[in-house]
Amino acid sequence: MMNIDSYTHVRGESVYLDDIPLVNGTLFASVFDSPVAHGKIKSLDIDAAMKMPGVVRIFTAADIPGENQIGGIIADEELLASTHVHFCGMPVALVVATSDEAAKAAVKKIKIEIDPLPVITDPREAKEKNELIIPPRTFQLGDTTAAWTQCDYIIEGSTATNGQEHLYIETQGAYAVPQENSAIRIYSSTQGPTQVQRTTARVLNIPMNFIEVDTTRLGGGFGGKEDQASAWGAMCALAAWHLKKPVKYSLHRMEDMRMTGKRHPYSSDFKIGLNKDYKIVAYEVTFFQNAGAAADLSPAVMERTLFHCTNSYFIPNVKATAYSCKTNLPPNTAFRGFGGPQGMFVIEAAIAEAAAALNVSPILIQQKNLLKTGDEFPYGQIAQSEANECWDKAVNLYDLQKLQQEVDAYNNNNKLSKKGLALMPICFGISFTKTLMNQARALVHVYTDGSVGVSTAGVEMGQGLNTKILQVAASIFSINPERIKVNTTNTYRVANTSPTAASASSDLNGKATEIACVAILQRLKEVAAEEFTADISSIEVKEDCVFVNGKQTDWSWNKLVQAAFVKRVSLSEHAHYAPPGIWFDTTKEKGHPFTYHVYGTAITTVTIDCLRGIYEVDSVKIVHDFGKSMNPIIDIGQCEGALVQGIGWMTMEEMLYDKEGKLKSNALSTYKVPDIYSVPKEITIHFLETEKENLAIFRSKAVGEPPLMYGIGAYFALFNAIKAFNPAANIPYDAPMTPEKVLMSLYPQTLKENK
Amino acid sequence: MDTTNKNEGRRDFLKKSTALAALTIASPALIKAGDNDEKIAAYFEKVPLELEINGQAYKLSVEPRVTLLDLLREQLGLTGTKKGCDHGQCGCCTVHVDGKRINSCLSLAVMSHGKKVTTIEGLAKGEELHPMQEAFMKHDGFQCGYCTPGQIMSAIGCIREGHANTAEDVREYMSGNICRCGAYPNIVDAIMEVKKGGKQL
Ligand code: FES
Ligand code: FES
Repeated sequence: MMNIDSYTHVRGESVYLDDIPLVNGTLFASVFDSPVAHGKIKSLDIDAAMKMPGVVRIFTAADIPGENQIGGIIADEELLASTHVHFCGMPVALVVATSDEAAKAAVKKIKIEIDPLPVITDPREAKEKNELIIPPRTFQLGDTTAAWTQCDYIIEGSTATNGQEHLYIETQGAYAVPQENSAIRIYSSTQGPTQVQRTTARVLNIPMNFIEVDTTRLGGGFGGKEDQASAWGAMCALAAWHLKKPVKYSLHRMEDMRMTGKRHPYSSDFKIGLNKDYKIVAYEVTFFQNAGAAADLSPAVMERTLFHCTNSYFIPNVKATAYSCKTNLPPNTAFRGFGGPQGMFVIEAAIAEAAAALNVSPILIQQKNLLKTGDEFPYGQIAQSEANECWDKAVNLYDLQKLQQEVDAYNNNNKLSKKGLALMPICFGISFTKTLMNQARALVHVYTDGSVGVSTAGVEMGQGLNTKILQVAASIFSINPERIKVNTTNTYRVANTSPTAASASSDLNGKATEIACVAILQRLKEVAAEEFTADISSIEVKEDCVFVNGKQTDWSWNKLVQAAFVKRVSLSEHAHYAPPGIWFDTTKEKGHPFTYHVYGTAITTVTIDCLRGIYEVDSVKIVHDFGKSMNPIIDIGQCEGALVQGIGWMTMEEMLYDKEGKLKSNALSTYKVPDIYSVPKEITIHFLETEKENLAIFRSKAVGEPPLMYGIGAYFALFNAIKAFNPAANIPYDAPMTPEKVLMSLYPQTLKENK
Repeated sequence: MDTTNKNEGRRDFLKKSTALAALTIASPALIKAGDNDEKIAAYFEKVPLELEINGQAYKLSVEPRVTLLDLLREQLGLTGTKKGCDHGQCGCCTVHVDGKRINSCLSLAVMSHGKKVTTIEGLAKGEELHPMQEAFMKHDGFQCGYCTPGQIMSAIGCIREGHANTAEDVREYMSGNICRCGAYPNIVDAIMEVKKGGKQL
């Protein structure tokens, strides 16, 4: 089934936050943010700004009636800086004016004096100074200390992966409209409407039931609007509450890039031990996560790094420790993969390093250590593995041997252009790692004309969630999908929602929808059973009609619905779903946190230009474990999109802060995301259809995040291409592999001589 | 949107601010840029602007500094054209002026005086979609949809300019339109199909 938003998308009729028709008298907000990364505020001068044309009022921390606090996991982040600033871009004051331009012009007139304090941008430095967001955590399996003695080879090294700007094409924003009795409606571009509601309630000191948050759709989220959308919602609400006027703030791209957190940069150390058969016997890894200036979602992201530190491999002895390090950067946050990719990069680097040291192909080590069903993850869960199935299928279907021969032949015949090939298996756990967040509700109404309205906790942001929800309802009721409408996500209709994240939203909201529809259908069948004096088990609703004992009756869906209404049978249902069997004990760091895992394997081939360092991704050939995809069109789109984002993170997206903590890559002109020219020339996706039972909605496995990690294959393909040119190259495991870095790795000698 | 209010406010300010004296200080470039954006703006009177948008003639009066994008979105309520960066770096705001694609965020509204502007809203004839819209639907050339109006307008421009002969060509000439969702493979397919269909766009 086609994405249900297709028609309005191509006509420019889909409504995003900035397109909502404005209420008369709407005012516009803009933030004055800290120009300094760390310091004590000496003075804040808003007088000149207040005199600017159109300015209505300027809000500071002193105007907050409730708690000046937006921290979700840990209360460590102020909405507006009161006494200290902790990062460049930290909001200090909110200007509200009669136009967007007037607000922005007035922001420039605000003056601040700050006594600077030391600035930390490096996570290892933060760790040295004991600047940690939470105490470190360690996941352990077996006994690495004892295991080293059983290893024939032990290899150590360090890696770094940079952050990543979300660059959702629709920037962050919110629009707060005051309602009667001091209630507020907030339109918000958020993945977490409840989070916006909760934060606003806290800031304004009013109960949550006075705050309605409504989200139609997002122009991209990718994790960046999970927690970080709350601040703008709360700010608009703060201004609207004081002024009793609607207030809107749609961030300019540069404001957004400057003020919001990104994917966490990581710096890591590894030690890997193998035996003569290239089996990995032991693996120790230490992660230094650059959390930025406040917790935001960092503790949860760090946890997922630990969960995925061994990727698709079984390693009997593992010790993984992670530090969430506090620096003076904007608080880093969720980004598709949520710490998983950062963990996987390190094990892949360790394997590459081991392969180089042992003079074998990394593919051999990868293959020998793939997870099997029954193997234990370092966190105690037992694997239901498809790792070997995906790997073998990819190797055979795409003829790895031939691909490798082609690469070798090309490299033999070309001096100044080299190809590289890498395999990237993935394994990604589905569920929020915080068990309590794995719950969702859906509200389904059947109207007397037979049409159906569905509301869930899920937010549509391009991932096709609403299409899948609609499919669920259409398939349970067995009615024409055109009868069904999926409504906006609204905290008045569905309460206490988890954010749309962790790839789990189709499962959670889909199952809740399924339960609601099944309950209504059951009641409808009872009505039909009575009418046809038949046993309920003989009643079926199929293709808009009622069937008794397999025979079509003259009762249509509409007639059935009307009959039920006349009999005063409820045509509405509010259902709750919480996946069974998941738990995690953080005191032992063991449990069964995931409903299931998603597996896959990608073969990536690249070509580098050895004169310029530039490169192309020739092809990515994937076998992906979709379970039983309920919407292949959408799932392929997700797979391709995630892959491209992963390649971007690993190759071209270079986030740069200077030593003072100022973002240098602060616009699309200085931060390069994949354009249409830089995506792989060929992407092939093979569906590994598995008939096994799983807890996914209609057995269609989650697809939002896992394919992002195929992008790591691009890094190692480039790595191998460089090695083909210069086998002695000592390439640091430092992603992204920009053309500049490729060039430097190709000619390390020249670089040294010129230094 | 309440544009009247906003503009009235500015006009009041203009009256109060002994603007005529200020105007004699010659070129606004002499005023320190950035610092005084709003004041500079206030010194200018609005200028008349006549243009055609999606087949409809408009007689407007706009501030000379208003971009075509802001005119469309904020003053005329044509929100199909999106703002992704406002700096000519994302392509979201692509529209056609006299049939040629441009970034409307980089174009002042007054530059379109006497011209014909087409936005995404002007492509379909009622229910009947433009072939490029149909192709984007068929090939699922989007995810979140935010870049889509710009992609479609740009894609039509790409074909009109004769730049869609190969997939490689399409990539080169569509590289100014960013899609963060990464719907690129499907976008290329959609454009190639329309090109092969050979219809005059
Ligand atoms: S908004 Fe015009 S190019 Fe980005
Ligand atoms: S569809 Fe989301 S940015 Fe292109």
